[in-house]
Amino acid sequence: MNFQVYNRELAVGDIKIIGVSSSSVCIVGDVQTIQLASTFDTPAESLIIGPFVPLFPKG
Amino acid sequence: MLTRTSVVNHIRLNIASFSSTLEFGDISFYQAFSRALAVQREKKIFFGGEGSFDQYPIFSEPIPIPPITESINIMYHQIKPVIKVKNLDITAVSASSLLQVGSTRHIYAETRIKHIRQLENHSEELNNQTIIPLEEIHSSPGTAIVNGR
Repeated sequence: MNFQVYNRELAVGDIKIIGVSSSSVCIVGDVQTIQLASTFDTPAESLIIGPFVPLFPKG
Repeated sequence: MLTRTSVVNHIRLNIASFSSTLEFGDISFYQAFSRALAVQREKKIFFGGEGSFDQYPIFSEPIPIPPITESINIMYHQIKPVIKVKNLDITAVSASSLLQVGSTRHIYAETRIKHIRQLENHSEELNNQTIIPLEEIHSSPGTAIVNGR
């Protein structure tokens, strides 16, 4: 595949961001390749109702 | 690759946490990894040395990422080889995130979060409460309902 890019003027005034989180990027510049992965697990069985027991101790 | 020059007049970042990076300048490879056990307890109880990542499959399961195989012929015409930003205001970067002023060849970032909630058993308190049927409330408007009384 042939891909032609013309980089003309790029000038931005103000950028305001509250948060960049969980494998996210904010870049002022050029990048060739980006691979970002993020997993988040909160299943029903992760809701424990009852006496407070500690999690499995560190190995 | 002919990359452009990045110009940022003013930058403001409050927090960079958990394997995050604030980078000025060019890099060829960026790799970040972060994992977290996010535990919410109803009461302020903290046990020492608890929490094991290998107890939860989320921290070991493979993440399918399409491999970069396709070869693309890219022609860059740098008519104005500069990126300008006057003001950059970011409150926080967290969990394998990157804030960069400059260019990068390759980025790989990975985050794994397991969220656990531990709540108290309130079923006895609920049993002691008098439950007023909804129709009764609607039939006599203006009745103050104080917890079970």
